[in-house]
Amino acid sequence: MERIIIPHIHKIEGQAGFWAEVARTGEVKDLKINTLLGLRQIEGILIGRRFWEVPIVAGRICGICPVVHILNCCSAIEKAFEIEVSEITVLLRKVLLASQIIQSHTLHLFFMSLADFSRIENDLDLIKKFPQEAKAALAIRDFSLKATKIIGGREIHPVTMKVGGFTKLPDEEDLKALLNSYPQVFDSASVLINLFKNLDYPVFGRKTDFLSLFSKTEYPFYQGGQVLIGDKKMSLGDFYSNKIEEDLKTPPVKKVRYQGQPYMPGAIARIVNNHFFLNPAAKKVFLDFKKGSGGNLANVFYNLFYQAIEILHFLEETEELIKELLKRELAEPAKEVKISQGSGLSASEAPRGTLFTYVEVDKNGRVVKCNIITPTAQFLNNLEEDLKVYLPGITRLPHKEKVKKIRALIRVYDPCISCATH
Amino acid sequence: MANKPKVGIFSLTACEGCQFVLLDLGERFFNFLRKTELIDFPLIEDAPFPKKIQIDIAFVEGTPITKKNVSLLKKIRKESKIVVAIGNCAALGGINKIKNYQDKEKTVRYLYKKTGAIENPEIKGLDKFVNVDLIIPGCPINGEEFLAIAEELIQGKIPQIEQKPVCRECPHRGKESCFLRKQEPCLGTITLGGCQAVCPASDFPCYGCRGTLKNINPTGFLATLKKMKPGREFEESLEVFGIKDDLQKYL
Repeated sequence: MERIIIPHIHKIEGQAGFWAEVARTGEVKDLKINTLLGLRQIEGILIGRRFWEVPIVAGRICGICPVVHILNCCSAIEKAFEIEVSEITVLLRKVLLASQIIQSHTLHLFFMSLADFSRIENDLDLIKKFPQEAKAALAIRDFSLKATKIIGGREIHPVTMKVGGFTKLPDEEDLKALLNSYPQVFDSASVLINLFKNLDYPVFGRKTDFLSLFSKTEYPFYQGGQVLIGDKKMSLGDFYSNKIEEDLKTPPVKKVRYQGQPYMPGAIARIVNNHFFLNPAAKKVFLDFKKGSGGNLANVFYNLFYQAIEILHFLEETEELIKELLKRELAEPAKEVKISQGSGLSASEAPRGTLFTYVEVDKNGRVVKCNIITPTAQFLNNLEEDLKVYLPGITRLPHKEKVKKIRALIRVYDPCISCATH
Repeated sequence: MANKPKVGIFSLTACEGCQFVLLDLGERFFNFLRKTELIDFPLIEDAPFPKKIQIDIAFVEGTPITKKNVSLLKKIRKESKIVVAIGNCAALGGINKIKNYQDKEKTVRYLYKKTGAIENPEIKGLDKFVNVDLIIPGCPINGEEFLAIAEELIQGKIPQIEQKPVCRECPHRGKESCFLRKQEPCLGTITLGGCQAVCPASDFPCYGCRGTLKNINPTGFLATLKKMKPGREFEESLEVFGIKDDLQKYL
């Protein structure tokens, strides 16, 4: 029996370790990803608090994807209060969400995962080896962070989003300036696409169900009424209430299954489920890749390349959204909020997959129930199952190489342990 | 290499947003790192924390919640000349600290029924565990402020953040649009500035995430704010970023 232990997997959001027991035959006896973070009890501390504190507190579940947490909290409470937000609010929220996906993916691709495909262990050396690509990655991040700051007031933990809309609307001139810098950023995205198109991805496949939001008209990201899992479509409420089980027996992380089975959200799921709706440039890249891949789209290592495609897609989306915004008069930041008893379930696409947020409030606007199901909580089972299948094929390698390969697969998932352990 | 100051950047339990503030500085942050010998920064490199090494400056983000968090913090203190707490979680306990004002046994049972394995301590800032040399406050920290302070630190100085209120940087200062003039509670008057009043500038009142100014007596100010919102509501607002403990004696 061999024990493989990685006490701390670096270069992921949050902190986690890996532990496995493998028999001489290569059979995996036991395998776990364990969180090294304490439980902050975000849902628990929100009970009894005022509705407007929910986005402030729950947004701080995660420092890399606060936007989607804030936005989902606002939407869930808006559903509870039966508030319909304005068109301007929807457009601005979509830009924020797109920017969040762009900046998170770029950080993950270049600064977390890329080194796994070379002999480099440190990002400063990585920048030295890929100077042009590093410049491109930083330029893309600067653009999306600027968009977040212009609309959200701050890059991390933005302050303007609230139940009903925004505290303040962005300056039209700032949006125009952002639009002007778009062409260079588009070129930078192509640099990243070329880098990730040509990586030597391991061949790996284990059948699983892919989960994403579903829309008949667009590549889904902001809100959704339906989900698509495997080949089944169903309403958000049905999926959340009847089809998934939250395993709460192993705190501090909840692990979610779909009808008893692991499943996979994230860039790979969105692309597999919705690639028809990619924007033109992103779609072209995808179709070229599809031709070369021999039709096997479900290799989990492709999650990296799909993130690169999504960067391009969401940049194209951002350009369109800003153009739409500039056609309109930026007025009326928020709808009036009338407090009433009620509940709401909201789902949006976070960088790592579909985020579900459920909030119930009483007649005074205080929280009665709250539940947040993060993408990482949904894919941890799938990651462990993948590792169980992947491990026997690499047991003969020297320990150091084995560890490197395990870390690489874990990082392909882009796990966010802060989200999973909230 | 030998003469470069040795720097470590660590995280306990947190959203890690303060570390992302650093990465969001882009090229400027990497230029700063090039002036140092980076001993450990798990977010961007794979090498494990060395068993024994003298660190000149350790930046620590997050709240110690698990026993392992606490032992890592103590190890960092032992190995480092200067320990800098970065962000509201490290300084005051952060949003995690709301739990302290509730029945924490009840709060933990809200989600998990089997709570045996959950570590559920009272939430406290780093300085309640180890000696902290400097605090860079905020939720999250301000990147510009971090860079300015970090540059001084690697030159061997320990700078102090000027004790001036958030109002000093606020675009609504002295105007009709000031929250206080609109009879809406805003803590900018008693909160340590340096954030460019980022929240009020976005038409969102200050909730004091950078902590309270030293050497002030806010009794009168707090009494004025209490009149704007009923007692319980006002005190709840002081709980969001963990400043209630420091203000309790003035309430």
